[in-house]
Amino acid sequence: MVDVSIGGGLVAIGAGLAVGLAGLGTGIAEGPIGAAAVGAIAEDEKLFGKSLIFTVIPETIVIFGLVMAILLWIKF
Amino acid sequence: MLLPEQMSKILVIGTRDRLPGTIDLLYSLENIHVVDFSEEEGFTLGTPLPSASDASHKLLKLRSIGKDLELDEHGHHERMSVKQVEETLDKTLSDIESEIAMVVESKNAKQTRLTEAETYLKSLEAFKGIPLDLEMYRGYKNLEVFTGQVKTDPEPGVREVLGDDFEIFRDSGDSNFIALFVPKAKAEEVEKALIKAGFTDIPAPAGTGMPAEIASKLEQEISTLSKESEDVSVKLKELQEKHATYILASDEYLSIEVEKAELPLRMGATDHSFVLEAWVPTSEYGSITKSFSDKFGDDIYIELLETKERKEKHHTKAEGSVEAGVMTAEAIAVPMSEETPVKLKHRKVADQFSFYTKLINNPRYNEIDPTIALTLFFPVFFGLMIGDVGYGLIFTILGWLGLTRAKSKDWKGLSTILFYGGLVSMFLGFFLFGDLFGIEFTAIHSGESELSSVTYTWAGLLGIDIPHVLFNIGDFPVQLGYFSKLEDVKMLLYISVWIGFVHLMVGLILGLYNVSLRHGLKAAIFEKFSWILILAGGALMLLVMVDVLILGGQLDVMSPLFIGSLALLIPGLALALIAEGGKAIIELPELLSNVISYTRITAIGMSKSGMALAFNYIAIGLIAPEGGIFLLVALLIFVVGHLMIFILGLISAGLQSIRLQYVELFTKFFEGGGLEFNPLKIERKHTMEE
Repeated sequence: MVDVSIGGGLVAIGAGLAVGLAGLGTGIAEGPIGAAAVGAIAEDEKLFGKSLIFTVIPETIVIFGLVMAILLWIKF
Repeated sequence: MLLPEQMSKILVIGTRDRLPGTIDLLYSLENIHVVDFSEEEGFTLGTPLPSASDASHKLLKLRSIGKDLELDEHGHHERMSVKQVEETLDKTLSDIESEIAMVVESKNAKQTRLTEAETYLKSLEAFKGIPLDLEMYRGYKNLEVFTGQVKTDPEPGVREVLGDDFEIFRDSGDSNFIALFVPKAKAEEVEKALIKAGFTDIPAPAGTGMPAEIASKLEQEISTLSKESEDVSVKLKELQEKHATYILASDEYLSIEVEKAELPLRMGATDHSFVLEAWVPTSEYGSITKSFSDKFGDDIYIELLETKERKEKHHTKAEGSVEAGVMTAEAIAVPMSEETPVKLKHRKVADQFSFYTKLINNPRYNEIDPTIALTLFFPVFFGLMIGDVGYGLIFTILGWLGLTRAKSKDWKGLSTILFYGGLVSMFLGFFLFGDLFGIEFTAIHSGESELSSVTYTWAGLLGIDIPHVLFNIGDFPVQLGYFSKLEDVKMLLYISVWIGFVHLMVGLILGLYNVSLRHGLKAAIFEKFSWILILAGGALMLLVMVDVLILGGQLDVMSPLFIGSLALLIPGLALALIAEGGKAIIELPELLSNVISYTRITAIGMSKSGMALAFNYIAIGLIAPEGGIFLLVALLIFVVGHLMIFILGLISAGLQSIRLQYVELFTKFFEGGGLEFNPLKIERKHTMEE
C-alpha cells in the first residue's frame, strides 16, 4: 500500500519496540503493586486514593517509551 | 467559596429538666457536630435518658421478631407516621410477638424432628439390603459382629483364619456391604484379614425392627414433615408480609429514640445540669442561638468558644532538644485543625463531583476544596479522550439514566462523569473533531492523506452535502472539526502537553494558596512559587525545543524565548534548592514526567479512533459492498465493534482522566485527611413525621 524504505521500516520497528517493551516493563512493575493495592482496599476502603496513586506510578515508564517513539517518528 | 465552610465551636449549658427538649432541637437543626466530652473537674460524663433502657429492650424484642420472620429491609417502601407508631407500639408489639411465637415454635420443632429423621435414615441406608433385625447386631457374649464396606471379597481371608466357623451376610443389591459374625476369641485375626480386603467400619444404628421397614416408615414421616414445615414457612411469609411495614417502622422509631436518649453520653454533666461542646458552621451560629432562645427563652446558655482560623499554629520548637535529622516537633505534633470538622459547600453540579474528592480523602479545614477544579477538568479530559458525538450521546443518556434512577452513591458518582463527560464529548466531537462513531462528518483533510482510501465521511456515505464551515465569528470559521485524531497526531500531542502545563499550573497555584493559608506567604513562595517558576520556564523551553528538534531550526542562545526560559528556570530552581535541598533535583524529572503524562489524552483518543477506523473499514469497505445478507453482517460488525470501543473507551477514558486529576493535579496542592462534618441528624426511611 505505502512504499517504505528499509531505514523507515527500522525506525517503525524501533518505535514499536520502545512502546512495547516499555509497556511490558510497566506491566511487570504495576502488577504486584496493583495486587497489594487491592488487598489494602479490601482491608480499608479509604485507602483507594492512595492505592491508585501508588499503582500508576510505574506508568511513567511507558510514557517515556511513548515519547521515544514519537521522537523517532518525528525525527525520521 | 473554594474553602470549606468556616466553623465555630460552641458550648451549650442547661439544666437537666431541659435535656430531652434540647436533644430534640439539636437533632432537628441538622447542623451540630458534637464533640465528645472529655471529663473535667466537677463534671462527669452524662447518663442516658431513662427512656433509653425501655426503648432498647423493645428494640431487642423487635429485632428478634424480625429475625424469626427473616425480614429483609429491601423492597419495603411504605411509611408509617411516627405518631401512629408511638401510640400503638406497646400493644401491637406484644400482639405480634404472641402471634408469631406459636408459629415459630412449631416450625422449630418440625425442623428439629426432620433433621433427626434424616440423620437416622442415612445411618440405616447401608443395612437396608440385609434381612436382619437391628437387634441382631448387638448383645452377644461370644460373638463379634463386623459391619461395613469392603473393597474385595473377604470370605477367602476369613475362611483361612476360621475355617467354616463364621456367618456372613451380604447385601442383596450390588453394594459391597457385609455383616460378619465370628467368635470373639478370633476377632483380632479376623479384623486383620478384613483390613486386607479394604474394610471400612459402619456401626449398626440403635433401635429395633427390620431396617427396610423402618426406613420406609421414616421416609413417609419425612415427606409429611417437610410438607408441614413448608406450610409453616408459607404462614411465616404471610405474617412477614402482614407485619413488615410495622416492624420496620417501629424498629426505625425505636432506633432513633435510643440514639437520642444516649446522646448525653457525649455530654458532660453535674447533678442538675448538662454541658455540650459542638462545632457549627459559623454562618449558622445566629440562627442556632435564635432557635434555642425561641424554644427555651433564657433557660439554655450558649457561648461561642472560638471561630477556627485557617492558619496552623506553629508549636515553638524546643531549642536544642531537637537534633538535626530528627523530625521536628512541628511535624510530630498533630495540627489543631485536624479536629475541626470539614463541611464542604458546593452548588449542585460540584456537589455531584464531591464523590470523587472523597474517594481520595476528605479535604482538611485549611485547604482549598479540590472539587471545583475536579468539576472543571475531569469532564473536559474525558471529553477530549472520547471526542465523538456518537459515543458522547450514549454516555450522556446512560449518565442521565443513572443520575435519575440510581440509588447507590457509587453508581451516582459514576453516572455523574458519564453525563457531564458525555456532554463535553458530544460538544468536542462536533466542533473539534467532527466525528460520529469514528466517521467524520465531512473530510477534515480532503484527499491529501494516506488514510483517505480507508476512511469515510457521513457526507459521502449518506450522499448529502454537509457544509464543513458552519458559520464565521469575525474572521474565525466555526467548523465541523478542526483536527483528525489519526492524522494530526503531532499537533494534538503538542496541544495535550500545553493542557498539561495549564493543569499543573492550576495545581501549583492552588498549592501556593494552601501553603500561604497554613504557613504564611514566605513558606508558600519557597515551597510552591519556586515550582511555578520552573514550570513556566519549562513551558517556554518547550517552545524553543519544538523549534529546534521538530522544525529543524538552530538553537539561538540569544533568542528572547531561550533567555526568558532560563530567567525563570534558574531562580525557580535556586528557590527550590534553598527550600528543599537536594530533593529538588529529584523532583525535577518528576515534574517533566508529569507534563509528558498528559500526552495520554491524545494517545487514548488516537487508539479509539484507530480501532473505529478498522471496524468501519471492515463493515463498510469490505463486507457491505457484497450486498444482500452481507449488509446485515456488516451492520452486526459495525454494532459489535463500536460496542467494544465504547466499553474500552469508558474504562480507559474514565480511569485515565481521573488519574490525571488524582496523580498530577491533586499531588500539587491536596493533603486531605480532614474530619468529615457529621451533624446530628435523623434519617427516616420507614416512618414520617406529620
